[in-house]
Amino acid sequence: MENKLLIEDHIKKNKRQTILICGLMALLFILVVFFLGYIFFGGNIFISLAFALPIAFGYIAITYSVSVSAVLSAAKARPANSQIREEKLLIHRVEEMAIAAGLPMPKVYVQDSEYINAFATGKDPKDSVICVTTGALKKLNQEELEGVIAHEMSHIKNYDVRLATITIAVVGAIALMSEILFYSMFWGGAGRGRKGEGGAILLLLAIVFVILAPIFARLTYLAISRRREYLADSNGAYLTRNPEGLAKALEKIKQDHPREKPKGSKTVAPLYISNPFRRIDASSLGSTHPPIDERIKRLRSM
Amino acid sequence: MLLWIGVIIIIIVVFLLLIYFGYYNRIIRLENRIDNSWAQIDVQLKRRADLIPNLMETVKGYMKHEKEVLENVTKARSALMKAKSPQENIDADNMLTGALKSLFAVAENYPDLKANQNFLNLQDELTNTENKVAYSRQHFNDSVLSYNNLVETIPGKWFAGFMNKKTRDMLQIPEASREVPKVKF
Repeated sequence: MENKLLIEDHIKKNKRQTILICGLMALLFILVVFFLGYIFFGGNIFISLAFALPIAFGYIAITYSVSVSAVLSAAKARPANSQIREEKLLIHRVEEMAIAAGLPMPKVYVQDSEYINAFATGKDPKDSVICVTTGALKKLNQEELEGVIAHEMSHIKNYDVRLATITIAVVGAIALMSEILFYSMFWGGAGRGRKGEGGAILLLLAIVFVILAPIFARLTYLAISRRREYLADSNGAYLTRNPEGLAKALEKIKQDHPREKPKGSKTVAPLYISNPFRRIDASSLGSTHPPIDERIKRLRSM
Repeated sequence: MLLWIGVIIIIIVVFLLLIYFGYYNRIIRLENRIDNSWAQIDVQLKRRADLIPNLMETVKGYMKHEKEVLENVTKARSALMKAKSPQENIDADNMLTGALKSLFAVAENYPDLKANQNFLNLQDELTNTENKVAYSRQHFNDSVLSYNNLVETIPGKWFAGFMNKKTRDMLQIPEASREVPKVKF
């Protein structure tokens, strides 16, 4: 009983956090575009705003609306084929977990990869996707697969996927803007803003800010993303009433060292159940997921 | 003075009404969630019952000496078809789960049957519906719990009393079926 209430509180807290992060990111983004406008239009705030806002919201809106298909194509994922037994069983497990979570059935996709991995994406629980690698289908038994699906289903239920989608859109937009800035500086069109000392300082500030903004945006997101992995683990265990399934799956992921190189784009790494690039970037501040041993330990102590 | 008292009373009444609307909506929403979870269980039970004749047709040719096992499945299925109340449905379904379990155990002795594509498919489908029943039952009980928590605690209790809403019963899972793991793979 306590558990159930706790989960609902967590979801509320998550929604608040999501709004906070989205606000922070939007602010960052608008500032970046504003600085950019400043460099282009010689400090005329109104022209800058008129220039910046449509680009900012246009970019985010477009990225947000195509995000699901963009993520799926970056992962080279394809819809699960119910003619293949492994994939039919995957669909079955997803159907079951959707019922357990009381959510509509997500679309089921498969990614051809030897790695054991899975991710969820989508804008909200009504329109979401769960994608599992063929490696996971081969190496995990049904109990472990169920644990993994329950974890992904919890990400959907907790609105983590929406946050990830928005973050990816905004971080991408900020990165795009800093690229435009660099081009414009080489191109020479940025000269008009530089009038006197104050202009030069502001320009410098603008450049530093544009470089730091994407890093800052990403770090904010990562800090929260790691906490949410634990939450999705425990909520997943609550759905299956069987923490051992996910714990065993995570153990297999830990032991999993295929020879093939990880596929896909780094931008979407936070979406996966375990970071597909974990052997490449080992720094703890930049990691999207908490250490796997700690996750197993927490599951076993439930 | 009188005007002020009037204004304060109106504010209090509006305030109470707003709280009542809030609780009314929450209670109705949770009730709908319970009914919806039950509909979900019902769909799965029907689907399960529909799969059985197919399974019997497939198995008949192979299992010549397992009359009793097959009869138990048929009996459990007709009990499921006749069941009316939620609890009757669940009990009949548990009976069916038990009967199918022994059928699949016996099937281990028939290599030809185990290699039959149709049989394998039906086994997967039946496992799927069995898990769905288990999880929708779990979701049903979760929903009932949320609802009961709301209508049994203060101040929800007062509003529920006013709306003439009573607590709902959870589905009881019999002792026997509790021993077997809920999800069988």
